[in-house]
Amino acid sequence: MTQIGFFIDVTKCIGCKTCVVACKDKNNLEVGRNFRRVYSFEQGVFPNPSLTHVSLSCNHCDVPTCIPNCPTTAIFKRAEDGAVLIDHDKCVGCRYCEWNCPYDAPQFNEQLGKMTKCDTCFDLRDAGEEPVCVTSCPLRAIEFGPIKELRKKYGNVSEIKGMPSASITKPNLVIKTK
Amino acid sequence: MDEWALFIFTLAVQASIGSTFVLYLFNLRSSELKEDEAYHLFRMPLIVISVLSLLGLAASFSHLGAPMNAFNTIRNIGSSWMSREIVLTGAFIGLTCLTAGLTIVQKKVTPWLMLVTAIVGLIDVYAMGALYATTLVSGWNSINTYTSFFGTTLILGAVLAVSLVAPKFSKETSGINAKGIIRGAFAVAVLGFTIQVVGSAMFFTAVHEVTMIDAVPASSILANYKGMIASGWIASIIGMFLFGYLAVSKSKKTFVSLTFTALAIFVVAQGLSRYVFYVMPG
Repeated sequence: MTQIGFFIDVTKCIGCKTCVVACKDKNNLEVGRNFRRVYSFEQGVFPNPSLTHVSLSCNHCDVPTCIPNCPTTAIFKRAEDGAVLIDHDKCVGCRYCEWNCPYDAPQFNEQLGKMTKCDTCFDLRDAGEEPVCVTSCPLRAIEFGPIKELRKKYGNVSEIKGMPSASITKPNLVIKTK
Repeated sequence: MDEWALFIFTLAVQASIGSTFVLYLFNLRSSELKEDEAYHLFRMPLIVISVLSLLGLAASFSHLGAPMNAFNTIRNIGSSWMSREIVLTGAFIGLTCLTAGLTIVQKKVTPWLMLVTAIVGLIDVYAMGALYATTLVSGWNSINTYTSFFGTTLILGAVLAVSLVAPKFSKETSGINAKGIIRGAFAVAVLGFTIQVVGSAMFFTAVHEVTMIDAVPASSILANYKGMIASGWIASIIGMFLFGYLAVSKSKKTFVSLTFTALAIFVVAQGLSRYVFYVMPG
Protein backbone atom coordinates (compact mmCIF):
# COMPACT_ATOMS: atom_id res chain seq x y z
CA MET A 1 0.00 0.00 0.00
CA THR A 2 1.22 3.48 -0.84
CA GLN A 3 -0.08 5.73 1.91
CA ILE A 4 -1.30 9.07 0.58
CA GLY A 5 -1.16 12.39 2.42
CA PHE A 6 -1.28 16.17 2.13
CA PHE A 7 1.48 18.80 2.20
CA ILE A 8 0.54 22.30 3.40
CA ASP A 9 2.95 25.20 2.93
CA VAL A 10 1.96 27.69 5.64
CA THR A 11 4.65 30.08 4.41
CA LYS A 12 2.61 30.50 1.23
CA CYS A 13 -0.96 30.21 2.58
CA ILE A 14 -2.70 33.59 2.89
CA GLY A 15 -5.91 32.16 4.39
CA CYS A 16 -8.04 32.98 1.33
CA LYS A 17 -10.08 29.79 1.78
CA THR A 18 -10.29 29.11 -1.96
CA CYS A 19 -9.54 25.44 -1.12
CA VAL A 20 -12.52 25.40 1.27
CA VAL A 21 -14.86 26.86 -1.34
CA ALA A 22 -13.55 24.63 -4.15
CA CYS A 23 -14.06 21.57 -1.92
CA LYS A 24 -17.59 22.73 -1.03
CA ASP A 25 -18.36 23.22 -4.71
CA LYS A 26 -16.93 19.86 -5.76
CA ASN A 27 -18.79 17.96 -3.01
CA ASN A 28 -21.94 20.09 -3.06
CA LEU A 29 -21.64 20.91 0.65
CA GLU A 30 -24.26 23.08 2.32
CA VAL A 31 -23.52 25.92 4.77
CA GLY A 32 -21.71 24.60 7.82
CA ARG A 33 -20.38 21.36 6.27
CA ASN A 34 -16.75 21.69 5.21
CA PHE A 35 -14.48 18.79 4.34
CA ARG A 36 -11.57 21.25 4.29
CA ARG A 37 -11.19 24.18 6.65
CA VAL A 38 -8.61 26.92 7.16
CA TYR A 39 -7.56 27.65 10.75
CA SER A 40 -5.76 30.87 11.64
CA PHE A 41 -3.47 31.09 14.65
CA GLU A 42 -2.41 34.46 16.07
CA GLN A 43 0.67 34.57 18.26
CA GLY A 44 3.00 37.06 19.88
CA VAL A 45 2.54 40.73 20.66
CA PHE A 46 3.64 43.93 19.00
CA PRO A 47 6.29 44.44 17.66
CA ASN A 48 6.53 40.70 16.87
CA PRO A 49 3.05 39.41 16.16
CA SER A 50 2.46 36.54 13.76
CA LEU A 51 -0.53 35.15 11.95
CA THR A 52 -0.41 31.62 10.54
CA HIS A 53 -3.04 29.96 8.37
CA VAL A 54 -3.23 26.21 7.97
CA SER A 55 -5.61 24.39 5.64
CA LEU A 56 -6.77 21.04 7.03
CA SER A 57 -9.05 18.23 5.91
CA CYS A 58 -9.00 14.59 6.97
CA ASN A 59 -5.35 13.63 7.34
CA HIS A 60 -6.02 9.95 6.58
CA CYS A 61 -4.05 9.16 9.73
CA ASP A 62 -1.90 6.12 10.45
CA VAL A 63 -3.72 5.73 13.79
CA PRO A 64 -7.17 7.09 12.94
CA THR A 65 -9.01 7.24 16.30
CA CYS A 66 -12.32 7.44 14.43
CA ILE A 67 -11.97 3.82 13.21
CA PRO A 68 -11.70 1.84 16.50
CA ASN A 69 -14.33 4.07 18.13
CA CYS A 70 -16.94 3.86 15.37
CA PRO A 71 -19.60 1.47 16.74
CA THR A 72 -20.69 0.29 13.27
CA THR A 73 -17.30 -0.40 11.61
CA ALA A 74 -18.46 2.03 8.89
CA ILE A 75 -15.15 3.91 8.88
CA PHE A 76 -12.28 2.07 7.25
CA LYS A 77 -8.85 2.63 5.75
CA ARG A 78 -8.83 1.84 2.03
CA ALA A 79 -6.31 -0.90 1.31
CA GLU A 80 -4.77 0.57 -1.85
CA ASP A 81 -3.90 4.08 -0.66
CA GLY A 82 -4.69 4.31 3.08
CA ALA A 83 -7.48 6.87 2.55
CA VAL A 84 -9.93 6.89 5.48
CA LEU A 85 -13.47 6.49 4.12
CA ILE A 86 -17.02 5.96 5.40
CA ASP A 87 -19.31 3.12 4.29
CA HIS A 88 -22.77 4.67 4.18
CA ASP A 89 -24.44 1.25 4.17
CA LYS A 90 -23.17 0.84 7.73
CA CYS A 91 -23.07 4.39 9.18
CA VAL A 92 -25.83 5.06 11.74
CA GLY A 93 -25.20 8.81 12.04
CA CYS A 94 -24.42 8.73 15.78
CA ARG A 95 -21.72 11.41 15.31
CA TYR A 96 -19.41 9.65 17.80
CA CYS A 97 -16.49 10.05 15.34
CA GLU A 98 -16.82 13.85 15.73
CA TRP A 99 -15.68 13.49 19.35
CA ASN A 100 -12.81 11.20 18.43
CA CYS A 101 -11.13 13.13 15.63
CA PRO A 102 -8.60 15.81 16.59
CA TYR A 103 -9.04 17.53 13.20
CA ASP A 104 -12.85 17.87 12.96
CA ALA A 105 -12.71 15.79 9.77
CA PRO A 106 -16.01 13.85 9.99
CA GLN A 107 -18.87 16.17 9.04
CA PHE A 108 -22.55 15.33 9.58
CA ASN A 109 -24.86 15.41 6.58
CA GLU A 110 -28.27 16.33 8.01
CA GLN A 111 -30.08 15.27 4.85
CA LEU A 112 -28.49 11.82 4.73
CA GLY A 113 -28.38 11.45 8.50
CA LYS A 114 -24.86 10.09 8.12
CA MET A 115 -21.26 11.20 8.45
CA THR A 116 -19.31 12.45 5.46
CA LYS A 117 -15.71 13.51 4.95
CA CYS A 118 -12.82 14.14 2.56
CA ASP A 119 -12.33 11.16 0.25
CA THR A 120 -9.25 12.71 -1.45
CA CYS A 121 -11.46 13.35 -4.54
CA PHE A 122 -10.94 9.78 -5.67
CA ASP A 123 -13.15 10.30 -8.73
CA LEU A 124 -10.81 13.05 -9.94
CA ARG A 125 -7.77 10.96 -9.01
CA ASP A 126 -9.15 8.00 -11.00
CA ALA A 127 -9.33 10.37 -13.97
CA GLY A 128 -5.65 11.24 -13.47
CA GLU A 129 -6.29 14.60 -11.83
CA GLU A 130 -5.34 16.05 -8.43
CA PRO A 131 -7.78 16.67 -5.54
CA VAL A 132 -9.66 19.94 -6.11
CA CYS A 133 -8.09 21.68 -3.08
CA VAL A 134 -4.66 21.21 -4.66
CA THR A 135 -5.59 22.52 -8.11
CA SER A 136 -7.68 25.42 -6.79
CA CYS A 137 -5.07 26.92 -4.44
CA PRO A 138 -3.89 30.20 -6.01
CA LEU A 139 -0.71 30.12 -3.92
CA ARG A 140 0.15 26.49 -4.76
CA ALA A 141 0.33 25.86 -1.02
CA ILE A 142 -1.25 22.39 -1.07
CA GLU A 143 0.23 19.21 -2.52
CA PHE A 144 -1.11 15.67 -2.48
CA GLY A 145 0.65 12.39 -3.05
CA PRO A 146 2.46 9.45 -1.45
CA ILE A 147 3.34 10.63 2.04
CA LYS A 148 6.83 9.10 1.81
CA GLU A 149 7.65 11.34 -1.15
CA LEU A 150 6.14 14.43 0.51
CA ARG A 151 8.17 13.79 3.67
CA LYS A 152 11.33 13.27 1.60
CA LYS A 153 10.78 16.63 -0.12
CA TYR A 154 9.48 18.68 2.81
CA GLY A 155 10.44 16.97 6.08
CA ASN A 156 8.49 15.48 8.97
CA VAL A 157 6.71 18.42 10.61
CA SER A 158 3.02 17.59 10.99
CA GLU A 159 1.81 20.09 13.57
CA ILE A 160 2.24 23.76 14.34
CA LYS A 161 1.52 25.65 17.53
CA GLY A 162 -2.23 25.69 18.08
CA MET A 163 -2.84 22.31 16.42
CA PRO A 164 -3.51 19.07 18.33
CA SER A 165 -0.50 16.87 18.97
CA ALA A 166 0.38 14.68 15.99
CA SER A 167 1.12 11.87 18.47
CA ILE A 168 -2.63 11.24 18.91
CA THR A 169 -3.39 9.92 15.42
CA LYS A 170 -0.11 10.15 13.46
CA PRO A 171 -1.61 12.22 10.61
CA ASN A 172 -0.37 11.79 7.05
CA LEU A 173 0.35 15.49 6.83
CA VAL A 174 3.49 17.48 6.19
CA ILE A 175 3.64 21.18 7.04
CA LYS A 176 6.27 23.67 5.90
CA THR A 177 6.65 26.33 8.57
CA LYS A 178 9.74 28.36 7.59
CA MET B 1 -26.50 22.33 24.22
CA ASP B 2 -27.44 20.10 21.29
CA GLU B 3 -27.56 16.73 22.97
CA TRP B 4 -31.08 16.64 24.46
CA ALA B 5 -31.60 13.06 23.28
CA LEU B 6 -28.46 11.87 25.09
CA PHE B 7 -29.35 14.03 28.09
CA ILE B 8 -32.69 12.22 28.48
CA PHE B 9 -31.22 8.82 27.60
CA THR B 10 -28.38 8.92 30.15
CA LEU B 11 -30.50 10.31 32.99
CA ALA B 12 -33.41 7.90 32.38
CA VAL B 13 -31.27 4.78 32.01
CA GLN B 14 -28.98 5.65 34.94
CA ALA B 15 -32.00 6.34 37.18
CA SER B 16 -33.49 2.99 36.09
CA ILE B 17 -30.25 1.14 36.81
CA GLY B 18 -29.83 2.79 40.21
CA SER B 19 -33.40 2.14 41.28
CA THR B 20 -33.20 -1.52 40.21
CA PHE B 21 -30.10 -1.82 42.41
CA VAL B 22 -31.78 -0.08 45.36
CA LEU B 23 -34.99 -2.12 44.95
CA TYR B 24 -32.87 -5.25 45.18
CA LEU B 25 -31.39 -3.91 48.43
CA PHE B 26 -34.94 -3.19 49.67
CA ASN B 27 -35.82 -6.78 48.88
CA LEU B 28 -32.81 -8.02 50.87
CA ARG B 29 -33.94 -5.99 53.87
CA SER B 30 -37.54 -7.14 53.57
CA SER B 31 -37.01 -10.87 54.03
CA GLU B 32 -39.80 -10.92 56.61
CA LEU B 33 -42.30 -9.83 53.93
CA LYS B 34 -44.80 -12.42 52.74
CA GLU B 35 -44.66 -13.32 49.04
CA ASP B 36 -47.84 -11.44 48.16
CA GLU B 37 -46.77 -8.39 50.21
CA ALA B 38 -43.48 -8.25 48.31
CA TYR B 39 -45.38 -8.59 45.04
CA HIS B 40 -47.66 -5.66 45.90
CA LEU B 41 -44.70 -3.56 47.05
CA PHE B 42 -42.44 -4.14 44.05
CA ARG B 43 -44.83 -4.63 41.12
CA MET B 44 -45.49 -0.98 40.31
CA PRO B 45 -41.86 0.19 40.87
CA LEU B 46 -40.59 -2.52 38.50
CA ILE B 47 -43.13 -1.50 35.84
CA VAL B 48 -42.24 2.18 36.20
CA ILE B 49 -38.51 1.39 35.92
CA SER B 50 -39.13 -0.64 32.72
CA VAL B 51 -41.15 2.19 31.19
CA LEU B 52 -38.48 4.75 32.18
CA SER B 53 -35.70 2.68 30.62
CA LEU B 54 -37.75 2.26 27.43
CA LEU B 55 -38.25 6.04 27.32
CA GLY B 56 -34.48 6.38 27.55
CA LEU B 57 -34.09 3.90 24.70
CA ALA B 58 -36.54 5.88 22.55
CA ALA B 59 -34.58 9.07 23.27
CA SER B 60 -31.32 7.37 22.24
CA PHE B 61 -32.88 6.38 18.90
CA SER B 62 -33.83 9.98 18.23
CA HIS B 63 -30.12 10.85 18.50
CA LEU B 64 -29.31 8.65 15.49
CA GLY B 65 -29.23 10.19 12.02
CA ALA B 66 -30.02 6.83 10.38
CA PRO B 67 -31.92 4.72 12.96
CA MET B 68 -32.59 2.03 10.34
CA ASN B 69 -28.92 1.11 10.69
CA ALA B 70 -29.20 0.83 14.49
CA PHE B 71 -28.27 -2.86 14.55
CA ASN B 72 -24.89 -1.99 13.00
CA THR B 73 -23.95 -0.23 16.26
CA ILE B 74 -23.04 -3.53 17.92
CA ARG B 75 -20.59 -4.56 15.19
CA ASN B 76 -17.49 -3.04 16.76
CA ILE B 77 -17.73 -4.47 20.25
CA GLY B 78 -14.07 -5.46 20.09
CA SER B 79 -12.82 -1.87 20.20
CA SER B 80 -15.65 0.66 20.48
CA TRP B 81 -16.95 1.62 23.92
CA MET B 82 -20.07 2.84 22.18
CA SER B 83 -20.80 -0.67 20.86
CA ARG B 84 -20.21 -2.12 24.31
CA GLU B 85 -22.45 0.48 25.91
CA ILE B 86 -25.24 -0.24 23.43
CA VAL B 87 -25.05 -4.01 24.04
CA LEU B 88 -25.07 -3.52 27.82
CA THR B 89 -27.89 -0.96 27.72
CA GLY B 90 -29.92 -3.30 25.51
CA ALA B 91 -29.26 -6.19 27.91
CA PHE B 92 -30.24 -4.06 30.92
CA ILE B 93 -33.48 -2.87 29.33
CA GLY B 94 -34.32 -6.41 28.21
CA LEU B 95 -33.67 -7.78 31.71
CA THR B 96 -35.66 -4.95 33.32
CA CYS B 97 -38.68 -5.70 31.16
CA LEU B 98 -38.25 -9.43 31.82
CA THR B 99 -38.10 -8.83 35.60
CA ALA B 100 -41.25 -6.69 35.51
CA GLY B 101 -43.03 -9.11 33.15
CA LEU B 102 -42.21 -12.17 35.27
CA THR B 103 -43.33 -10.34 38.41
CA ILE B 104 -46.73 -9.64 36.83
CA VAL B 105 -47.16 -13.14 35.40
CA GLN B 106 -45.92 -15.12 38.43
CA LYS B 107 -47.34 -12.66 40.99
CA LYS B 108 -44.07 -12.76 42.92
CA VAL B 109 -40.69 -11.05 42.65
CA THR B 110 -37.57 -12.88 41.44
CA PRO B 111 -34.72 -11.43 43.54
CA TRP B 112 -31.87 -13.13 41.66
CA LEU B 113 -33.14 -11.64 38.39
CA MET B 114 -33.24 -8.18 40.00
CA LEU B 115 -29.64 -8.70 41.11
CA VAL B 116 -28.47 -9.81 37.65
CA THR B 117 -30.29 -6.82 36.08
CA ALA B 118 -28.67 -4.42 38.56
CA ILE B 119 -25.17 -5.87 37.97
CA VAL B 120 -25.54 -5.64 34.17
CA GLY B 121 -26.80 -2.07 34.68
CA LEU B 122 -23.86 -1.05 36.85
CA ILE B 123 -21.40 -2.45 34.29
CA ASP B 124 -23.36 -0.45 31.70
CA VAL B 125 -22.81 2.76 33.72
CA TYR B 126 -19.06 2.08 33.55
CA ALA B 127 -19.34 1.60 29.76
CA MET B 128 -21.31 4.87 29.47
CA GLY B 129 -18.52 6.62 31.36
CA ALA B 130 -15.82 5.04 29.19
CA LEU B 131 -17.73 6.04 26.03
CA TYR B 132 -17.30 9.72 26.94
CA ALA B 133 -14.04 9.54 28.91
CA THR B 134 -12.15 7.98 25.99
CA THR B 135 -13.11 10.76 23.55
CA LEU B 136 -10.87 13.74 22.85
CA VAL B 137 -13.38 16.27 24.24
CA SER B 138 -11.79 18.50 26.87
CA GLY B 139 -13.43 17.87 30.25
CA TRP B 140 -14.96 14.54 29.25
CA ASN B 141 -11.55 12.82 29.26
CA SER B 142 -11.59 12.89 33.04
CA ILE B 143 -12.41 10.62 35.96
CA ASN B 144 -15.24 13.07 36.69
CA THR B 145 -17.22 11.49 33.84
CA TYR B 146 -17.30 8.12 35.65
CA THR B 147 -17.96 9.62 39.09
CA SER B 148 -20.68 11.89 37.74
CA PHE B 149 -22.46 8.96 36.06
CA PHE B 150 -22.16 6.57 39.02
CA GLY B 151 -23.21 9.38 41.38
CA THR B 152 -26.33 10.08 39.31
CA THR B 153 -27.10 6.36 39.18
CA LEU B 154 -26.92 5.97 42.96
CA ILE B 155 -28.62 9.26 43.90
CA LEU B 156 -31.50 9.16 41.41
CA GLY B 157 -31.77 5.39 41.89
CA ALA B 158 -32.15 5.72 45.66
CA VAL B 159 -34.64 8.58 45.64
CA LEU B 160 -36.67 7.11 42.76
CA ALA B 161 -36.87 3.70 44.43
CA VAL B 162 -38.04 5.29 47.71
CA SER B 163 -40.58 7.44 45.85
CA LEU B 164 -41.97 4.37 44.08
CA VAL B 165 -42.41 2.27 47.20
CA ALA B 166 -43.32 5.11 49.61
CA PRO B 167 -47.06 5.23 48.74
CA LYS B 168 -47.30 1.58 49.88
CA PHE B 169 -45.80 2.35 53.30
CA SER B 170 -48.82 4.32 54.38
CA LYS B 171 -51.11 1.39 53.53
CA GLU B 172 -51.27 -2.16 54.78
CA THR B 173 -47.71 -3.56 54.37
CA SER B 174 -47.43 -4.92 57.89
CA GLY B 175 -44.15 -6.76 57.83
CA ILE B 176 -42.10 -3.99 56.24
CA ASN B 177 -39.16 -2.29 57.87
CA ALA B 178 -39.93 1.09 56.31
CA LYS B 179 -37.36 3.12 58.25
CA GLY B 180 -34.65 0.54 57.57
CA ILE B 181 -35.39 0.75 53.85
CA ILE B 182 -35.29 4.56 53.79
CA ARG B 183 -32.04 4.66 55.75
CA GLY B 184 -30.47 2.12 53.40
CA ALA B 185 -31.52 4.21 50.40
CA PHE B 186 -30.21 7.35 52.07
CA ALA B 187 -26.84 5.63 52.59
CA VAL B 188 -26.75 4.78 48.86
CA ALA B 189 -27.53 8.43 48.00
CA VAL B 190 -24.79 9.64 50.39
CA LEU B 191 -22.34 7.30 48.63
CA GLY B 192 -23.41 8.69 45.23
CA PHE B 193 -23.10 12.28 46.43
CA THR B 194 -19.65 11.59 47.91
CA ILE B 195 -18.46 10.03 44.65
CA GLN B 196 -19.64 13.13 42.75
CA VAL B 197 -17.86 15.47 45.20
CA VAL B 198 -14.58 13.54 44.83
CA GLY B 199 -14.89 13.45 41.03
CA SER B 200 -15.68 17.14 40.93
CA ALA B 201 -12.59 17.92 43.01
CA MET B 202 -10.43 15.88 40.62
CA PHE B 203 -12.05 17.38 37.52
CA PHE B 204 -9.68 20.35 37.50
CA THR B 205 -6.71 18.09 36.79
CA ALA B 206 -8.07 17.34 33.30
CA VAL B 207 -10.12 20.38 32.43
CA HIS B 208 -7.39 22.40 30.73
CA GLU B 209 -6.40 19.78 28.16
CA VAL B 210 -7.26 20.47 24.54
CA THR B 211 -6.73 17.71 21.98
CA MET B 212 -9.02 18.89 19.18
CA ILE B 213 -8.53 21.61 16.59
CA ASP B 214 -10.48 24.82 17.10
CA ALA B 215 -11.52 23.66 20.61
CA VAL B 216 -11.17 25.60 23.83
CA PRO B 217 -10.47 24.10 27.25
CA ALA B 218 -13.53 22.94 29.18
CA SER B 219 -12.59 25.52 31.85
CA SER B 220 -13.25 28.34 29.34
CA ILE B 221 -16.63 26.91 28.34
CA LEU B 222 -17.71 26.16 31.91
CA ALA B 223 -16.88 29.74 32.96
CA ASN B 224 -20.16 30.68 31.24
CA TYR B 225 -22.15 28.21 33.34
CA LYS B 226 -21.09 29.18 36.87
CA GLY B 227 -24.65 29.89 38.00
CA MET B 228 -25.91 26.59 36.65
CA ILE B 229 -23.07 24.61 38.25
CA ALA B 230 -23.62 26.30 41.63
CA SER B 231 -27.42 25.82 41.41
CA GLY B 232 -26.93 22.09 40.69
CA TRP B 233 -24.72 21.58 43.74
CA ILE B 234 -26.99 23.66 46.00
CA ALA B 235 -30.02 21.65 44.83
CA SER B 236 -28.10 18.41 45.52
CA ILE B 237 -27.23 19.57 49.04
CA ILE B 238 -30.84 20.61 49.77
CA GLY B 239 -31.98 17.23 48.40
CA MET B 240 -29.51 15.38 50.64
CA PHE B 241 -30.76 17.27 53.73
CA LEU B 242 -34.37 16.49 52.83
CA PHE B 243 -33.54 12.82 52.18
CA GLY B 244 -31.66 12.71 55.50
CA TYR B 245 -34.69 14.20 57.25
CA LEU B 246 -36.93 11.51 55.70
CA ALA B 247 -34.54 8.83 56.97
CA VAL B 248 -34.80 10.00 60.60
CA SER B 249 -38.26 11.62 60.75
CA LYS B 250 -41.07 9.74 62.50
CA SER B 251 -43.83 11.79 60.90
CA LYS B 252 -45.93 9.73 58.47
CA LYS B 253 -48.26 12.54 57.46
CA THR B 254 -46.09 14.34 54.91
CA PHE B 255 -43.79 11.42 54.10
CA VAL B 256 -45.01 10.66 50.58
CA SER B 257 -45.20 14.28 49.45
CA LEU B 258 -41.74 15.03 50.89
CA THR B 259 -40.35 11.96 49.13
CA PHE B 260 -41.63 13.21 45.79
CA THR B 261 -40.30 16.69 46.61
CA ALA B 262 -36.86 15.14 47.19
CA LEU B 263 -37.16 13.28 43.86
CA ALA B 264 -38.03 16.53 42.05
CA ILE B 265 -35.08 18.35 43.67
CA PHE B 266 -32.64 15.60 42.71
CA VAL B 267 -33.95 15.43 39.14
CA VAL B 268 -33.32 19.19 38.84
CA ALA B 269 -29.87 18.87 40.49
CA GLN B 270 -28.71 15.98 38.34
CA GLY B 271 -30.33 17.52 35.27
CA LEU B 272 -28.34 20.73 35.75
CA SER B 273 -25.15 18.71 36.23
CA ARG B 274 -25.83 16.67 33.08
CA TYR B 275 -26.70 19.79 31.07
CA VAL B 276 -23.33 21.27 32.00
CA PHE B 277 -21.68 17.97 31.00
CA TYR B 278 -23.12 18.18 27.49
CA VAL B 279 -22.02 21.78 26.88
CA MET B 280 -18.35 20.77 27.07
CA PRO B 281 -17.85 19.86 23.37
CA GLY B 282 -18.53 23.57 22.73
